[in-house]
Amino acid sequence: MVLCDFATSMGSSSGSSSSSSSKPLPSPQQQDIDGLLAGAGYKVRSSELLQVAQRLERLENAMGNSPADFSQLATDAIHYNPSDLGSWVDSLLSEFVQPSTCPSEVIMDPVPNQAVVSNAWTTAEPQNPQVHQNICYEQQSLNNQLTVVTATEEDSGIRLVHMLMTCADCVQRGDLSLATSLIDDMKGLLTRVNTVCGIGKVAGHFIDALSGRIYQGIGGGSVNGGSVLENEILYHHFYEACPYLKFAHFTANQAILEAFEGHDCVHVVDFNLMHGLQWPALIQALALRPDGPPLLRLTGIGPPSPDGRDSLREIGLRLAELARSVNIRFFFRGVAASRLEDVKPWMLRVNPKEAVAVNSIMQLHRLLGSEPTRNYPIETVLSWIRSLNPKIMTVVEQEANHNQPLFLDRFTEALYYYSTMFDSLEACTVQPEKALAEIYIQREIANVVSCEGSARVERHEPLAKWRTRLSAAGFKPLHLGSNAFKQASMLLTLFSAEGYSVEENEGCLTLGWHSRPLIAASAWHAVPDASAEFPAWDNQQSS
Amino acid sequence: MAGSNEVNLNECKMVVPLNTWVLISNFKLAYNLLRRPDGTFNRHLAEFLDRKVLANANPVDGVFSFDVIIDRGTNLLSRIYRPATAEEPQPNIFELAKPVTAEVVPVIIFFHGGSFAHSSANSAIYDTLCRRLVVICKAVVVSVNYRRAPENRYPCAYDDGWTALKWVNSRSWLQSQKDSKVHIYLAGDSSGGNIVHHVAARAIESGINVLGNILLNPMFGGQERTESEKHLDGKYFVTLQDRDWYWRAFLPEGADRDHPACNPFGPNGRSLEGIKFPKSLVVVAGLDLIQDWQLAYVEGLKKAGQEVKLLYLEQATIGFYLLPNNNHFHTVMGEISIFVSSNR
Repeated sequence: MVLCDFATSMGSSSGSSSSSSSKPLPSPQQQDIDGLLAGAGYKVRSSELLQVAQRLERLENAMGNSPADFSQLATDAIHYNPSDLGSWVDSLLSEFVQPSTCPSEVIMDPVPNQAVVSNAWTTAEPQNPQVHQNICYEQQSLNNQLTVVTATEEDSGIRLVHMLMTCADCVQRGDLSLATSLIDDMKGLLTRVNTVCGIGKVAGHFIDALSGRIYQGIGGGSVNGGSVLENEILYHHFYEACPYLKFAHFTANQAILEAFEGHDCVHVVDFNLMHGLQWPALIQALALRPDGPPLLRLTGIGPPSPDGRDSLREIGLRLAELARSVNIRFFFRGVAASRLEDVKPWMLRVNPKEAVAVNSIMQLHRLLGSEPTRNYPIETVLSWIRSLNPKIMTVVEQEANHNQPLFLDRFTEALYYYSTMFDSLEACTVQPEKALAEIYIQREIANVVSCEGSARVERHEPLAKWRTRLSAAGFKPLHLGSNAFKQASMLLTLFSAEGYSVEENEGCLTLGWHSRPLIAASAWHAVPDASAEFPAWDNQQSS
Repeated sequence: MAGSNEVNLNECKMVVPLNTWVLISNFKLAYNLLRRPDGTFNRHLAEFLDRKVLANANPVDGVFSFDVIIDRGTNLLSRIYRPATAEEPQPNIFELAKPVTAEVVPVIIFFHGGSFAHSSANSAIYDTLCRRLVVICKAVVVSVNYRRAPENRYPCAYDDGWTALKWVNSRSWLQSQKDSKVHIYLAGDSSGGNIVHHVAARAIESGINVLGNILLNPMFGGQERTESEKHLDGKYFVTLQDRDWYWRAFLPEGADRDHPACNPFGPNGRSLEGIKFPKSLVVVAGLDLIQDWQLAYVEGLKKAGQEVKLLYLEQATIGFYLLPNNNHFHTVMGEISIFVSSNR
């Protein structure tokens, strides 16, 4: 059944099997996915079901025949993308040595035994027509997902949420006078709600953000984004107070390290250097490489410093000092740009012989726009990234749908996303890290809720959308495996409160609070483009 | 031995549809990788391999869901599933905990299976099953994410079940209009079925009224080796060896399988004679190797004068209820629906 789009077809979301006009029909490949296994989280084509079954059987027999290999399999193998059941089984099969002395009943000769094997399975019972089958797996969670995790709240908390939604609805309809009076009512209600934690705390920020939006509309001032220095300080405290950024850096570094294996000259391009918090760990890991460290070039992009300081250079110097102390040949380049779209690939001075890693921690969403039909900087930037032919592009993004066309939808999603994030922050007891981290998040909320047009840079989109976008731009996923998962989980146990969870999502990893993923990490590489041999210096414009 | 292995695989291929065979064999394989001989469990790999799904406050096929932290101390989460009503196919998102409007609404507290060690409330297979229960029974389902073994042994799972029962019972928004009470049923499969019994037992003196227990292939056992265990060992996805492992992982260190958690009507069990215990619906799969223990449980209830209905499904294997592609699934769902509506 194709799900109806939330925004366009009210009232037809239950039981209907008509496809929504705003979504493309699933391709024949997608339609062939076994709907029942899809409901269990596995993607297997109906036409391949028998093959997968045979391979499972082979694996079972192989495991039974050599228990010693099996226990090694259990401890050492790295698993990838379990949703793709066929490949998972194959990867395990390939872990077993297949000697010619295998007993004959184990190997199934494809042609002669086919008839025998298929008779051994009963045909599926005719499916009950009321049960939904052939769920279009790709489209399942794109537009209709609204994930809510709540702690039980008292009544005034619930009333506050009710009023916030009503106010947001007024704003969307343009009824600013009603919206304004609701703001006053809510501010009154806030005094009776616990604003130290829970819904009361996040509600306050949303009331302020709505206020900001209304008064802009009426001709008030614009929302201030904060100075470069302020942003860096807030970022640093957000880094310390909760594990989201640490997870991002850690996961990306793991993937980069693996991608750099065997290369002597490597170049990391960081789309947002900040204090370079991510890089000491990578530098140290490269120093410990068994086959010796590579030559490491780091290009850090960041906003220009307003007061004459060259903060990029300062950070570069500190990193260079660290690199020197662990005997790594290190070169740093700072690229100052207020916006990522102002960066041109030639500024990065990528050498065709280098292994390049492009690292984007919560930057790509800033390049998106509102209308699907217009060209936004994202296309240009993805295109030149691809032309650099990177060994890996690590992407970490907020796992949220904050770029939906309708304001009320964005508002609702943000309300639940940020209350979950604030809830997770309750576990942090260190000050002033916690307070400043909250301001960091509050700034994000303000941007999502009160800004529009080019000022609205926090245009978060969920993993499913990034997958589609990056595939269309010529990137293929590099799956993050069970080893990365395990290390991320262990990191959480060491450094954070209980309640955080790492999850695997079709080759990507997410970090969330309880059952709600809040941040998603993925890795990509460019599909080779024969026309771009010396990309860095020739690409003065997008291809 | 290779020879008997082949016979086994052929036998279970004959009784289940192909996609069910693939699903359950996949679990069997994965679970074999997770259980270590020394009794420890590869939890990281387990979480990595488990397919999970998000809650969705927007209705899908007439059901919406959201997660609630029931107890901060133990981080106990539950996923609540509610029907999207005809008058409001698009529920007000800020009123997830809006009072139920019908005269009588069954609230089913569901405990997922996994032999006390595997799966979660947000595992795809259980999210799907709970959604089906909502539609078929016109009920609210509360799926409890109880703590698992071996990290959390007996009685953690039961404690969490009890916490969830108290929580559900005290939600004013779950009260049926007819009598302003929450109409509670406990349901669970495999280890979840075992939890149902023990939570119901704990509720006895408490004043919380549980209207019925639904046990799907419940996990029980004992020291003795029964005929079904000897006869069906390794034949239909499950081995005695793995059953033993899970009991060792869940029961207190040093306890044997006659511990009352495992064997509630065994030598260390408690008699329910003369006690007000909920009526029970017990589903037993004819190809489940622990069926003798499940049948003994039914006998135990009968001997104590308790109301129990046994649904014995001859050709069913474990996990038959995970996919709606077989007659057993529809039979059982029909029975459950009747079971929770007979108090209307």
